[in-house]
Amino acid sequence: MDTGSHLPKTGMIGELSETRYWIYLLLLPSLVIILLVIAYPTIYGMAISFREMRLTRPGLNGWVGFKHYLVMIDDPVFWVALKNTVLWVTFAVVLELGLGFIAATALNRNVPGTGIFAVLILVPYFLPNVVAGHMWALLLDPRLGVINDILVRIGILNSYKAWFADPNTALAATIFVEAWHGFPFFALLLLAGLKGIPQDLYKAAAVDGAGPIAEFRLITVPMLKSVIAAAVILRVISLVNSPDLLLILTGGGPGDATQVLSLYAFQTAYKDFNFGYASALSVVMFVILMVFAYAYIRLSKIGRE
Amino acid sequence: MAATRRSRRMAADILTYFVLVSMSLFCIGPIAWMFLTSLKLEADIVTQTMQYIPNRITFQNYVAIWTQSSFPVLIGNSFIVTLITVIVCLATGTLAAYAFSRYTFKGRNTLMLGYLVVRMFPAVMMIIPLYVVLRSVGLIDSRIGLALAYTSFLLPLFVWMLKGFFDAAPKELESAARIDGSTRFGAMLWIVIPLARNGLVASSIFVAIAAWNEFLFALMLTTGQGSRTWPVGLQLMVGEFQLPWGVLAAGGILSILPVMLMFALVQRVMVQGLTAGAIKG
Amino acid sequence: MATLSLQNVQKSYGGLQVLHGIDVELEDGGFLVLLGPSGCGKSTLLNLIAGLDDISAGDIRIDGRSVVELAPKDRNIAMVFQSYALYPTMTVERNIGFGLEMRGINGIERSAAVKKAADLLQISHLLDRRPANLSGGQRQRVAMGRAIVRNPDLFLFDEPLSNLDAKLRAEMRTEIKRLHGRLGTSVVYVTHDQIEAMTLGTKVAVMKGGYIQQFADPQTIYEKPANMFVAGFIGSPPMNFVTGTLTSDGRLARFEAPGVRVEAPMSSGEIFRAKAAVLGIRPEELKIADVTGSMLTGTIDVIEPTGPDTIVTVRVGDQAVVARLPSRFSSKAGDGVYLRAELAGLSLFDAVTEMRIQL
Repeated sequence: MDTGSHLPKTGMIGELSETRYWIYLLLLPSLVIILLVIAYPTIYGMAISFREMRLTRPGLNGWVGFKHYLVMIDDPVFWVALKNTVLWVTFAVVLELGLGFIAATALNRNVPGTGIFAVLILVPYFLPNVVAGHMWALLLDPRLGVINDILVRIGILNSYKAWFADPNTALAATIFVEAWHGFPFFALLLLAGLKGIPQDLYKAAAVDGAGPIAEFRLITVPMLKSVIAAAVILRVISLVNSPDLLLILTGGGPGDATQVLSLYAFQTAYKDFNFGYASALSVVMFVILMVFAYAYIRLSKIGRE
Repeated sequence: MAATRRSRRMAADILTYFVLVSMSLFCIGPIAWMFLTSLKLEADIVTQTMQYIPNRITFQNYVAIWTQSSFPVLIGNSFIVTLITVIVCLATGTLAAYAFSRYTFKGRNTLMLGYLVVRMFPAVMMIIPLYVVLRSVGLIDSRIGLALAYTSFLLPLFVWMLKGFFDAAPKELESAARIDGSTRFGAMLWIVIPLARNGLVASSIFVAIAAWNEFLFALMLTTGQGSRTWPVGLQLMVGEFQLPWGVLAAGGILSILPVMLMFALVQRVMVQGLTAGAIKG
Repeated sequence: MATLSLQNVQKSYGGLQVLHGIDVELEDGGFLVLLGPSGCGKSTLLNLIAGLDDISAGDIRIDGRSVVELAPKDRNIAMVFQSYALYPTMTVERNIGFGLEMRGINGIERSAAVKKAADLLQISHLLDRRPANLSGGQRQRVAMGRAIVRNPDLFLFDEPLSNLDAKLRAEMRTEIKRLHGRLGTSVVYVTHDQIEAMTLGTKVAVMKGGYIQQFADPQTIYEKPANMFVAGFIGSPPMNFVTGTLTSDGRLARFEAPGVRVEAPMSSGEIFRAKAAVLGIRPEELKIADVTGSMLTGTIDVIEPTGPDTIVTVRVGDQAVVARLPSRFSSKAGDGVYLRAELAGLSLFDAVTEMRIQL
C-alpha cells in the first residue's frame, strides 16, 4: 500500500502519544530510574546515618539515634577535615576563577588560532582524575620530578622538594593540581558569558571615553556576575563532594594535612566499612553544602537562572 | 595618533598570544611529559640527570601494560559499563528531556530542580546506600550495577544538557508535522530528534567520558576482575605492584586516548551544550 | 470544503482564562479572519481549531462533526505557520509531500500531487532545494504548497505574511486571495494587520482580551464598528474620536463639542439629555466645507502631503482631528478651516461603555 513511504508507522505508541497520558509516558522511564538509584538510596543513606552498620562486624546492627553525630563533635579528625575542606575549596575556586578569567579574556579576543588554543586549554577538564593524579605525582616526584628539576635549574629551589610528603606544602600542592584540573571549566563558562555581552555596550563606552579599566569595571564584571555566580556554586559543589584527586595524590596524608570531609567519609566507608559513621559524615557535608548554596544563591540573586 | 593606536593593538595581540601559548603549555605540557615518559626506558626515567628529550625511544612500556597486566580486561569492562550507561541515558533521558523542553505540566519546575539538586548529594552519601542496595540484589561487583549507579548522577546531567538542544528546535515544526498527519511520537521521532542529533551525540559523549573516567563509585562498588574498570585497576596496580613510572604513564596515555578522540570529534557541539546546560544549571 | 462552527469555545491555562466563550460560524468556502492585537487570544483559538492545544470547554465542529476529541492529524486540516515551519532536513519536494507521505499515499501519486501544487505556486524549479537555500518569499510559497497539496477541509493560516517585507507581503496577499478564489477551500486566517483582514476576509472576527469584539463582514466592521476598540483598530490613519455631549428629543439627535455641531435624524426614539458621548469620524470621510454646511470648525495645525492625498491635522476646540484630503490642498498651517462629512460615515459611542449608540 504505502510503497513510497519512507517512514514506518509509529503504531500504538503513536496513538498513545495523542492522549493526555503522553507526558507521563515520556517521564516514566527516567523517573523510575531516578527513584531507584537516587531517591531511594538518598533516603536510605540518611537512615543509615542513624544506625550502626559495619560490614566488618555484622552483629552490630540497629538504630543508635544521634550517636554518630555526637561522636563527630568530639572527633578531632572531623574538625581538621572541615577546616581543610574550607581551605581547599576556597583557594582552589579563587585560583581557578582567576586562571579561567585570564584564559577566557584571551580567547574572547578571537585572534587567529583561537579555536586550537580553546581546545588545548579545555583538555585538562576531560582528563580522568586517576591519570591526572599520577601524572602530577610523577611531575612533582621528590626524586625524578621534572618540575623540581626546572625549579632547581632556574634557581628557585636549592634541592628537590617532596611536595606531597611535607605537611607544609601538601595542601598547597594538591590545590595547585586541582586548579590545573578545574580551571578550564571556568574558562569555558566565562568565555560563553563574555560572548553574551553585546558589543554595542563596549562601543558606547568607548564613545563615552571609557578606558579599558572602566570598561572592565562598569561593563564586563556586572554583565558576567550571574555567570560567575553560577560557575562558582557548581564548582564548589563538585569540589566539596569529590575526594578523587586527594585520594590518589595523598590519601589525606601526611598525617591529616590534606584530609577533607569527603575523603574522610569515603575512607570511613571504604577502609573501615563503618557505614553508619560515614553516612553521618556525608549527611553533615550535605547539610553544610545546602546551607551554603542557599545563602549563596540568596546573596548573589541567581535564583531564577 | 593612528600609529599609537595600531601599536597599542599590536601590544594587546602579542599579550593575548603570550597568554594563550603559556596557558596551552600549562595544560598540555604535563600530558606531553607523561607521553615522553611512556616512551622512555625505565633506566632513563630514574636517572641522575633529567632527560628532557629521550635518548632512546621504546614501546616496551605499552607492550608491558597490555600483555603483563589485566589492563585489556579492565579496558573491556570500562567499555561495557560506559556503553550501558550511555544506552540507559539515551533511552530514558531523551524522553524526559523532550518532555521538559516541550510541555508544561504540573510539577515540571520542581522536577527539573530536583534533577539538579541531585548534583549536590555527596558521592559518598550515594555510594554507601547504593553499595548496600546493589549487594542485596546481587548487582555488586557487576558491570550493570556500576552502570546503574552511574546513571544516578549522569542521567540528570544528560537530561539538562539535551533539553537545551531540544529547546533550540522550533516548536512549530512539530505542530506542522502533527497537522501533516504524524502523531506526537512520530513528530518527535522523525522531526525533532533528527534536528537535535548533534545534541544527542554531544550529550552522549559527555556522559560516556564521565562514565569512562569515573573512579570513586567504581572503587567502592567493584571488587573483582569481572567488573573492575581501568581507573580502579590502574590505581590498585600502582599500590600493589609498585608499577614502574614508564608503564604507568603508558597506561595513562592508553586510557585517555578514547576520551581525547571523542572530545576531538564533537568538541564544538559539546562546548556549546556544556555552556548552555551549565549556565542554566 | 467545509463549514466551521465554534460554539462557546473556552481556554484557560491553570487559573488564567484566555478565551471566554467564542462563538463563530463560517460558511462553506468562506474566509474567516481572526484580527486583533498580540495577546488577544487569536493564535490560541487557531491552535484549538488545529487540535494543537486542548479545548477547556465548548465545541468545535468542522462540517457539522465535532473534532475536539480528534488529534490534529485526523482533523483533515492544513496549516501555514508564521515561521513557515519547513522541515530543515528535507528537500522542498519532500516538505510539500510530507503530509501525503504520512498518510501512506504512494510515491507516484505523491509526486504528481506535489508537482501540481508546485506549479500552482510557481515553485517547480525549487523542488530539489532545502529550506535553508530559499528566500523568505520562496519559503512562504513552499509552506503554502505543503498546505494545499493535501486538499484539506480547512486551511489555517497563522500570521503567514508577518515575516515578509512590505512589497512581498502585498504580493503574497494577492496570491492568497487568488488561491482561495481558485480552490474555494474554507480558511481561518490569523493576523494583526487590518489591511489583510479587510482585503482577504469574507468574515472578520475582531478580538481583544479573549473576547470577540465584533464578528461581521469587513464592510460592516469598517462602517459600523460595534465599539470604540474596533473603530480604532480598523483604518489608517485611525478614526478620530471627538468627545462631547449628545442631546435628543426622540426625533432629532444633536452632538456638540467646542467647534463641533452635528445634527442627525433618528429612528430609535430614544431621548438623551446631554449624554457624554464620543463622535467617531474616519479621516477619509472628512471634506472641506463652507461655513453653512460645516460640522467642525478649527485651525490647521500640521499638513503632511503623502502624494496621493494630504493628511491634515486640525485643532478643533481643544481636540485634534485628522483629515485625509485631496492632494490639491492649498491652505497652510494656522489657517482656519471648515469640515463636514456624510452622516452615514459617522459613528456615535457611549463615552462610558464605549459601545456604539444606535440612533
